[in-house]
Amino acid sequence: MSGDILIVAEHLEGRLAPSTFEVVSLGRALAAASGGVVRVALFGQGVRALAEALAKLGVEVLLVEDVALAEYTGDGYVLAVRGLLESAKPRLLLAAHTAQGYDLAPGLAGALDLPLVTNAVGVRLDGSRLVVTRRLLNEKVQAEIEIASDRMIVGTVRPGSVKAASPAPGGIVVPTKVSIDASRVRMRFARIERPTVQDIDLAAADVIVSAGRGIQKKENLPLIEEFAKAVGGVVGASRPLTDMDWLPKTRQVGQSGKTVHPKLYVACGISGAMQHVAGMKDAGLIVAINTDPSAPIFEVAHVGFVADVLKLLPATLKELTG
Amino acid sequence: MALNIVVCLKQIPNPDLQFQIAPDGKDIRRDALNYKINGADEYALEEAVRLKEKYGGRVVALSLGPKRVDQVLREALAKGADEAVRIAHEDSGTYDVGTVARLLAATVRTLPHDLVLTGVQSDDQGSSATGGLIAGLVGLPHASVVTRVDVKDRILEVATELEGGLQRVYAIPLPALLTIQFGANTPRYAPLPAIMRAARQPIREIAPASVSLPYAFGVRGLSPPIAKGHAEIVTGSVEDQAKKFAQLLREKGFVRR
Repeated sequence: MSGDILIVAEHLEGRLAPSTFEVVSLGRALAAASGGVVRVALFGQGVRALAEALAKLGVEVLLVEDVALAEYTGDGYVLAVRGLLESAKPRLLLAAHTAQGYDLAPGLAGALDLPLVTNAVGVRLDGSRLVVTRRLLNEKVQAEIEIASDRMIVGTVRPGSVKAASPAPGGIVVPTKVSIDASRVRMRFARIERPTVQDIDLAAADVIVSAGRGIQKKENLPLIEEFAKAVGGVVGASRPLTDMDWLPKTRQVGQSGKTVHPKLYVACGISGAMQHVAGMKDAGLIVAINTDPSAPIFEVAHVGFVADVLKLLPATLKELTG
Repeated sequence: MALNIVVCLKQIPNPDLQFQIAPDGKDIRRDALNYKINGADEYALEEAVRLKEKYGGRVVALSLGPKRVDQVLREALAKGADEAVRIAHEDSGTYDVGTVARLLAATVRTLPHDLVLTGVQSDDQGSSATGGLIAGLVGLPHASVVTRVDVKDRILEVATELEGGLQRVYAIPLPALLTIQFGANTPRYAPLPAIMRAARQPIREIAPASVSLPYAFGVRGLSPPIAKGHAEIVTGSVEDQAKKFAQLLREKGFVRR
């Protein structure tokens, strides 16, 4: 088997997913270590410009255009990958661990009976083995696992765990013909739905004070609002709070909500699950308040207060106004 | 249009606990854990029961693991599942999602299934892969991170959640598999009489199928996560911490006074 790496790019509405650049960066490093070639498969229709943007990373881009691939479907993408595998034998196929990536990767591994490892925060080769680092149990345990196979291994890489690839010379777009039998695409894309609630744009805020399960009761939200006002900010939330309708969906920070880059981010009683951290880790100054000193939020915070947010915020407000 | 629904449920160690690594370094210590149903699976179960209530049909709750897993299956029976099946599998760690999915898929094939549901991810292993793997292995179309399900003329209309708050809507013919997202519905509480009844209901225990894996899998070792960076931690009394917090906000110019 070759040491080649195949990456499946992700795009939506004419834009490449930022996580694709991270996977390319990892793929390049792994290919360099294994003496293989990294190729990026771009599936779609009328996406030549995106292929050229990817080629600027110094990689070979296999551009597969077909009307059946105009929108992502698991079925369509599995057929496209299957087509590419007829003429190539990569050792590893990688995608980002995004809603699309973890839809595609398991479906593909199941349909083609391939080994699979997902949500990796680290991937390396050790001889014939693939060694993968994963996070378990609310990020509290790290596991190193290994997979050995004579078949292609399918993997997904958690967004934010690798630095995005920077431009490099030598890239090329290779238009590639894959015949896709549209009758085998069982599911049909219908439409994209956008949130309709009119609300503040969290992404435009300089200061965000976000509340998590640690605020305990909806009745404690006014405290968060008062504090946000005192520091010239707006109120955000972690997923559990918007799931419980304490705050509208538009206020949710994280992978399935908004990605924000404020100057100040105050995380109030938020444990720091990957899904939340992905949306706020690049804030200028991150202050975390949590009673649990082992909470993963303290890994991304710059300053951490091991305290009950319901006590610390009133005391701090008193300091600021008193 | 009655639906035969199989919902896959996982029992996990309560992830809010602190964990210690077992002496051999290959698993967590399991002697003092308490277990619960995986968070996302509660939504999958609720969705299964709601679809049955709306369209008629039957819900089979399927799980895999040692005897303690029966607790999760009884909970499912109390909340409206009609039948519970446990694949007797003693490897409590289930670190390899490929093994788990192949065992579940082998049983799904033997059960009538118009619709197979799983949670979007487990909070212990976090692979987000069991559902998709089962779909691929059994040969079902599937969609992930589903927040809404409607059925009309044996065609599902499902909304799937993307990053950034967008939803992608698909039409998918039955039979199909969906992985259900947190917040897709409001899981019900089981009424007491149902809990009592579920305690007496049989749980069908079946032997794991023999599956062949196209790979060799191993756990090299577990460790506490290596922090990439760590916050400068402020401790002390609430008053002291508040003083330091206020000072920080002033120094960085977020408050004027």
